[in-house]
Order: sequence, then C-alpha cells, then structure tokens
Amino acid sequence: MALLEDFRQAVIAGDADGAAGIAAGIASEGKASADEVIASLSAAMEEVGGKYETGEYFIPEMLRSAAAVERALQVLDPYLFERRQEYAGVVVMGTVRGDIHNIGKDIIISALRASGYEVHDLGVNVSADKFVARVKEVDADLLLLSAFTTSTRQALVDVLSALEAAGLRDRVKVVSGGAAHSEELAQEVGVDAFASDVKGTLAICRELLGGKHLPGSGGETGC
Amino acid sequence: MNSRERFQAVLAGEIPDMVPVIPVVDGFFAPGLTGRPSDECWQDNDCLAGALALALERFGMDGVVAEMGLGPAPEVLGCPVQIEGNEVPLVTDRLVETRADLEKITVPDPWSGGKMEPVERLVALAGGDSVILGAVRSPFEYAATVRGLLDFMGDFYRDPELVRDLIAACLPATLAVGRALAEAGVDAVVVKDSFASTSMISPDHYREFAYPAEREAVAGLEGIPVILHVCRNSLPILPLMAATGAAVLEIDSPVDLRQAREAAGDAVVLKGNIDAVSVIEKGTAADVDAAVSAAIDAARGGKFILSTGDSVPLSAPEENLAALVASGRRYGKYQGGDA
Repeated sequence: MALLEDFRQAVIAGDADGAAGIAAGIASEGKASADEVIASLSAAMEEVGGKYETGEYFIPEMLRSAAAVERALQVLDPYLFERRQEYAGVVVMGTVRGDIHNIGKDIIISALRASGYEVHDLGVNVSADKFVARVKEVDADLLLLSAFTTSTRQALVDVLSALEAAGLRDRVKVVSGGAAHSEELAQEVGVDAFASDVKGTLAICRELLGGKHLPGSGGETGC
Repeated sequence: MNSRERFQAVLAGEIPDMVPVIPVVDGFFAPGLTGRPSDECWQDNDCLAGALALALERFGMDGVVAEMGLGPAPEVLGCPVQIEGNEVPLVTDRLVETRADLEKITVPDPWSGGKMEPVERLVALAGGDSVILGAVRSPFEYAATVRGLLDFMGDFYRDPELVRDLIAACLPATLAVGRALAEAGVDAVVVKDSFASTSMISPDHYREFAYPAEREAVAGLEGIPVILHVCRNSLPILPLMAATGAAVLEIDSPVDLRQAREAAGDAVVLKGNIDAVSVIEKGTAADVDAAVSAAIDAARGGKFILSTGDSVPLSAPEENLAALVASGRRYGKYQGGDA
C-alpha cells in the first residue's frame, strides 16, 4: 500500500512532520489496519537499525527516526492503543547500583520505544529493591540491566536475588548489557541473556519474548 | 635524548633517537598505582600528581597526561558531578534544557579552588625530563556534556542553530582550561573531542559542527602544541582533523595507521593506536608486543608517537604497560631514518 510505504519512508528519513501527517490520515480515515501500521513502523526502524550497522546512519539519524516514530505514535496512540497493549512487551530498564552511566541505556530505550514497547526508565544507580518494585508494579516482561563499570557484578547478583526473594524471577526475563559485561559474566551471575549493542538488544528482546513479537514482521522485528 | 627532547624533536619534524612512548595514562589508570580508591585520589591533589609521577617512574614511559583536580569537564562548567568508587568524576545532570539556559554556561576560572594544583605539582615532580600533557575537552564535547549527549545529537536535525550556539558558548571554557594548562607548564594540550567520532556522527556533521570548533580551539591555543583526540573511528575525517592546525592527531585503535597517514598527510604527527582495552587491559604481554611491533612498522618514516588509542583502564595489568614501553623501545629505535 502506497500510504504505508510513504509512512515507512518518512520514518526512515526522520521526517517527523511527514510521519505525523500520514499518521493523522490513518487515524482519522482508517486507511490501514493497526497491524499494518505497527508492522510498517517496525520495518522502518529495522531498516534504520540496519543503516546504523552499515555506517550509512549515525546516532543523530537514529534519533531523528526515533523522534519521527514518537510523533507518529502520539497521533496514532488512541487508534493503536489496544493493539499495542496486546503485542508490545513491557520493559523495565535502568543502570544498576554503583553505576551512573546513562548514554547506552538511553540509546536502547529510544530504540525500544521506537519499536512500540512500553519502557519504564528507572534512571541510573538503581537499587535492587527499586527494580523489583517496578517490575512488580507494571508486570514487566523484560528487565534490562545496564552496567558500564567493572565493579557492578555484585549489583547484578543483588537484583537477581531480590527478584527471587520476591517470587518474580520466573515471571520476568532479565537481560544485562554494557561495556563492562560479557557473555561469560552474564552466565556466571545467571541473567537470561547478554547484549552488547542496540541491535543485539533488540534481537534478544525479540527472542526472549517469543510469540509476543509485533505482527506482520516475519519475526524479524518487534522489540 | 631525554623524553622531552625526544617529544620535541618529533614535533619539530625531526627524527629522534627512538619513537616516543606516551600511552594515555591519565586519571583512569594512575590512581590504582597508589593503592587508594580512585575517588579518594581524585580529590587529593598530592595523590593525583603522585600517581602520575609514579606511573612515569615505574614504567619508564616518556610522558603522561596530567589531570586537573576533579577533572576538567564537570568542574569548569558547573554541572552536578558524582564521584564514586573507582570511576572518574561524571556529570550526572545537564545544564541546558532549553535555549534560555545557554546563559548558564559561564567562562570558568580553572585556577579556582586549587584545581590546577595537581598539574603544577606533577610538572614540578617530573616535568624536567618527562613529557607532561594536559587534557581539556573540546567545545563540541563540552556542549554535549552540558546539553546531554542524546539531546545534543538530536538537536543536529531538530535545532542546528542551538548546536552551533552551544558550541560557541563552550569555546571559552576550552580556551580557559587549555591556557591554564599551558601556564601550569604542560608540554602540550590534548583537546579531547571524543564524541566527534565517525563511530557516532557522520563526516558531514563533523564538518558542520565539530571541525570549526576544533579549528578555533587550536587557533586560540596558539603557542602551545595541540594534540587532537577523537575516539574510535576517525579515518573519514582525518584530512579535516589535520587541517585544524593541531600538531598531533591521536588515533584510536579501529583506524589503520597506514591509512591514517595517507588520509592525514605527511605534515602532522600521529599518536596511537594500541587498543587500550582488548590489548592493554585484556591481552597478554605477547599481545602487546605484537601490537607494538605492528604499529611501529605501520608508522615508518617518523612523525610518530607510540600510544594507546584511548585512556588505559584502571584494571589494566601493570605488566602490559611495562611490555608496551619495553616493546616500544625494542622496535622503536631509529636507524637511518626508520624505526
């Protein structure tokens, strides 16, 4: 459909006005189904991610596209609300206790939100208790723990112990990431997965949520 | 030749006795040598200066990077800072939410509160024979700090005029700190422009925003050699980096040194580019030796300073730093004009 193709291209080009305009038409006239709209957004952000990976796009271009998605979603929210509730996962993310780096976390959160996820950003230097409380409050599907410094191993262990003590460990998948972490450390502390970059995080979220990925994407997008 | 003579010969375009070895040993790594936590050391001028002097003595390298007390970036700009554990001070909140906040950016006094004391003490302790570099952030990096990195980069398309105004407002901070470092006696000022990397922004955006500010910074620091540092990939922008007038370009590990020389031209000195993490922090002494041999081989023809591509991490093994210097000495002797 030409309209959805225009929508996709507007997001890829980071044309927030264009994307919002098309979104307004979709919302008011019902020109595309919610599934088609979400699939189009997801495909667009996957292409943006691909352009970043290949060096065609850089961080400002990623942010520009994320802003276009945000604008479009503001317009489309009432139209898509039920669908988004059905398909998008709920993510809680923060930088663990003892670590105050936020750049990597913020990039991941932008990418997740752009992909239609409900993301609860707890900020930096977050205690285990605060992670657990928010996971419980929002019934999170995923808990993403960002850790940049090398001294954060214990903080990861503390979060996992607190989840266990609260009886939530089986209800939420935990992913760790950040410059100080590795696959080995992730296995050692017992998180469900490790991710080292934006693309890897998106892929892991998709994998961990299994059938909860966004529709119409052939399983290639959704987190 | 002593270390300073060696360094100055390279800057003058001459062939010294051997390739100078000046890894980026600064406030990240050096405090660990004292056995005290980094946050304590960062707040103790004697400790910070002593740690860097100790690094010079222990490893026999030609130079180190002096740090202002509490670090140049946060302190001079009035941003809130957190110092915790073994981390260098980090800005925890931004200063500029909207254009109206531009007026919050003030020209700092780098001498206030004794912040320049660690540099002066280090120069007094070790500056006779050794090379003491002083680090300052570029206007582009300061601007990203006061605005918040992602909002700053979002502004490239959303409000490019704000980006330019932010950078212009931060230029006096770079110049004030750079001039104070020169006055304190450093041999060269390292202008760190970490975020101008083409691992983060496009070459077009580098040309539009970062490059003009780098040029102004270099021009404003006339009289003191400038080492321009850009993290990660800088290959596509090396011709422009060379055109800033910087005496030395500090090249990070993702860039091939031969390609770097080709891109930067023959006039400028290159400094680099052993991987500070995969080789120095996580590798073995044999890995270090192989990397040094390859780097010196790639940088034949002089105008080269052996270095890490970026700051040596706190947890780097001392034996790897010793290996860096030993291998640099082994492979770096100039014979008939070539190392």
